[in-house]
Amino acid sequence: MIRTPLRLLACLLLAGCSERSAARNAPSNDLLVVGYDREPDTLNRFSTHILEDVQTCIIEGLVTNDEQMNIVPVLAVEVPTIANGGVVLRADGGMDVTWKLRPGIRWHDGVPFTSADLKFTVDAINSPDYNPESTDGFDRITSVDTPDSLTAVVHYREHYAPYQLQFVRGALPKHVLEGRNIDQAADYNRKPLGTGPYRVAEWKTGEYILLERVDDYWRGPAKIRRLQFKFITNATTRINQLAAGEAHVVALVPWDRARELRQVPGVTVHRMMGNSYEHITLNQRRIAAFADVRVRRALTHALDREAITRTILDSLAPVVHGAIQPLSWAFTDSVTTYPFDVARARALLDEAGWTDRDGDGIREKDGAPLAFTLLTQAGFVTRENVAQVVQRAFRDVGVDMKIQLVDGTSISSLWFEGNFDAMLHWWHMPADPELTLFFASDRTPPAGRNINFVADATLDSLLYASDREIDQGRRRRLLVQVQQRLAELAPEIPLYNVTRLDGVPATLRGFKGNPTNTGVFWNVHEWDVVSPP
Amino acid sequence: MSTMLVVRRVAQAIPLLLLLSVLIFALLHAAPGGPLAIYLENPNVRPADIERLKVSLGLDRPLPVQYLAWLRGFVTGDWGFSFTDGRPVVTRIAERIPATLELVSASLAVALLAAIPVGVITAVRKRAVVDRVTAALTVAGISLPAFWLGLLLQLVFAVWLGWAPSSGRSSLLGGGLGDRLAHLVLPATTLAVLHAAAWTRYLRSAMGEVLLQRFVLAARGRGVPARQVHYRHALRNALLPFFTVVMLDAAIMVSGAVMTESVFAWPGLGGLFTEALARRDYTVLMAFLMLSSVVVVVMNLLADLAARWLDPRVRA
Repeated sequence: MIRTPLRLLACLLLAGCSERSAARNAPSNDLLVVGYDREPDTLNRFSTHILEDVQTCIIEGLVTNDEQMNIVPVLAVEVPTIANGGVVLRADGGMDVTWKLRPGIRWHDGVPFTSADLKFTVDAINSPDYNPESTDGFDRITSVDTPDSLTAVVHYREHYAPYQLQFVRGALPKHVLEGRNIDQAADYNRKPLGTGPYRVAEWKTGEYILLERVDDYWRGPAKIRRLQFKFITNATTRINQLAAGEAHVVALVPWDRARELRQVPGVTVHRMMGNSYEHITLNQRRIAAFADVRVRRALTHALDREAITRTILDSLAPVVHGAIQPLSWAFTDSVTTYPFDVARARALLDEAGWTDRDGDGIREKDGAPLAFTLLTQAGFVTRENVAQVVQRAFRDVGVDMKIQLVDGTSISSLWFEGNFDAMLHWWHMPADPELTLFFASDRTPPAGRNINFVADATLDSLLYASDREIDQGRRRRLLVQVQQRLAELAPEIPLYNVTRLDGVPATLRGFKGNPTNTGVFWNVHEWDVVSPP
Repeated sequence: MSTMLVVRRVAQAIPLLLLLSVLIFALLHAAPGGPLAIYLENPNVRPADIERLKVSLGLDRPLPVQYLAWLRGFVTGDWGFSFTDGRPVVTRIAERIPATLELVSASLAVALLAAIPVGVITAVRKRAVVDRVTAALTVAGISLPAFWLGLLLQLVFAVWLGWAPSSGRSSLLGGGLGDRLAHLVLPATTLAVLHAAAWTRYLRSAMGEVLLQRFVLAARGRGVPARQVHYRHALRNALLPFFTVVMLDAAIMVSGAVMTESVFAWPGLGGLFTEALARRDYTVLMAFLMLSSVVVVVMNLLADLAARWLDPRVRA
C-alpha cells in the first residue's frame, strides 16, 4: 500500500528512466500497428458511417482519390469522360456512363469480379430492403446494362456531375449477398470479401482488427504482411501507445499534440492540407443582424485569423477564405478577402446602424444589443481556445458573443433543426467540389446543409448550373464564379484549412497521405518499412 | 425463511425495475440527438435517407409505442438489434462481459488484499504514524480521478519504464497467461486504488467501533492474544457492514469502470456504454442500463442474504 506510491514518486523524480522504450516493438514489414480512434461499426463500405480506413485495405473502388485529390482508376481501366467516349449525354436530359473493368480481377475467394457485381450493387442500394448510409447518386440511376462481364453501362435519369465517384466504394459481391438481408449479414459485414491487398484475419471485438495480406493480389502482394488496427478511443492513450512503440501509425493527430509527438524518436509527423475548412456559421434566420452583409463582413474583419493559426494552431494549418480548398481542381484565390482591420469592422457596424448608445461597450440598434451565442463542441481543445479568441475579438468591436459547449451528438441535432445562433465547426466535404448542398437557398435543413440560411438568386443559378455541367473545364469556370459570389456575400467566416497530421514511423516508405475522406490507406499496397539506418 | 425473503424481495424489485425502465427510456429520449444524428455529419446522406432510416428503425413511432415495443421485447428476451452495427444487442453485451468480469474481479481482489490488513492495522494503531500516513494516502486515493491516475500509471510504467503494456487486453504475438496478466496490471491497479482507499477508511471506522465493545474487552481480559482478538473476534464483526458496502460497490464497478476502460482501451462494458451513449444507440443503452439496475438489485439482495448468514442476530 505504501511502497507502490513511493516507487511511483521515485520514478517521477527520475525522469532519466525514459527514452528507452521506443526501440522495442519496432515497426516492420511483418507487422504494422495502427492506433485507431474507434471501432468500426461494420466493414461494409456502403453501410458504415465512419471513415473507411480499414475497408480501403480490403475493398477497392473502380476509382480512388490520390494524394492530390485526382480521381484515378483502380478496378476500372480508365475514368469515363465525354472526351474518351465513356459518357454520353442523352437528348432526353439523362446520361449514360460506361465503365470498363480491368480484366483478370478476382474476389478473394477466387470468383471473378464482373459487371454483374456492379449491377447487383446498384439494385441492392436502390432496394427498400437494404439500409445503406446514403443512396446519393444511386437514386438517379434508372438501370445498369451489362453487355459483357467487363462492361457496365450506367443509365442516369439526369446529368450528374459527380458520377466519377459513384463507385469509389467498389461493389458488393453478388455471389455472396444475393437474396440476403444485407443489414444483418454479419459474415460479410464483419469479414467482407474484397479484391484489395488485405483480408480480415481476425476482428476481436473491442480490441482490434487484424488484416493479413493477400498473396495473389493483382498488383503484386503488399510488402507489409500484417496490419493491426487497435481501437483506442482516448487520444492521450493513443499518443502514449505511439510513444511506447505499441502503435506505429496514428492518423489525424490533434494539433495540440503535434509538438509532443515530434519529440518521440522514430516517429515522423506527416502534414498535408485537407479538403475541409473550419468556419463560423452565421444563422441569418435566428439572428436578424446577420442578414445584413455589412455585419457579416465586419465580423470577418474583426478577426485576426493569422494570429489564431499562428498561436492556437502552432502554424500547422493555413488561413483560408472559402469553402473550396486549395487542393481542389475547382479552387480559385481570386476572391474578395476581409483582412484583419478593426477600424474597418467598426466603420461597417456603424454604417449598418449598430452603435453603442448607452456606453456599455456593446452596440445596439432599435434598443436591441448586438449579441449572440456561439455553439461549438465540448472537449475539442482547439475549438474551445479559438472560441475564446473570437469572443475577445468581437468584444473589441462592440459585439457580445457567448460560448456554448455541447457534445458532438447534440450539436448535430441542434444545427439540423436550425436551433443555434452561430456555430464553430467544419464539414466533412466530399471530394467533388459541389457546393449546392451547403449554400443553395432551397437546401436549408432538412433538405441540405445551408445552415447560414443564405438566399441569393445569383448564387443559386450559378450553383445549379455547375451541378449540371459534366465538362470539367466549363464546370470549373462556373465554380470560380460561385466562389467569387460567396466571397462577396460572406455568409460565414472561413477560418483555416483542416490540415491533416498523421504520425507514422520514420522508417515507412511509400506513405503519401490523403486529403479526402478516402483516408491514408488508399495506397497501402505500396507501403514499405525499411530497416533503420 | 430465506426462500420467503427472496420471493418477497424479487416481487418488490419488479415495480422498481419497471419504474426505472420508464425513467431511463424518457431520459435517453430527452437528450438532444438520436441514433441518426451521426448520419447528419456526412454530406452525402440526404434528408430522404434520414427519413427512410427513421421509418425502418421504428423511430418515427410515438414514444409510448416505442417504449411498449421495447418492454415486450426486453421481457421476452428479444433485446433487438444495435443501431450502430446491426448486430443483436445480446451479442454485443455478452461479448463484453468476460473482459469486464476479469477487470472487476482482479481489482476487487487487489483492493480487498490492501484494504483489509491496512484497515485493521490503522484501527488498532489509531493515531500512529502508519495511521496518519494511511489517512493521507486514502484521501488522495478517493480524490484522484480515475482518468488522471490511469494516464499517470500509463506514462510511468508503460512509456517510461516499459514494464507493462500501456493499454489493451492482450498483444497479438504473445497471447499467453503472462501477457494477459501484464495487460491487466495497470487498469486493475487504477480501479483498485480508488476502491481500496474508500474501503480502508470504512473498515477502519467499523473496526474502531467494534474494538470499543465489551466483548472485545472481555476477550482481552481473558488473556486472548491481541492478534486473535483483532482478527478473529473484532474483524469478523466489522466485516459484516463492510461486505455490504463491498458488494454494492462491486455492482457499480461492473458498469462504472467507464473511465478506466476508456484510458486503457479495455474491451469491457464501460467502453460499449460510452460508445453507445455517444451515438444514442437506444437499444444497447436500454439493455445495458437495465442490466446494470438488475445487477445492483441482485447484489443488494445477496448482501442481505449474506448478512443473515453471517450474523445470527439479523436472522431473528
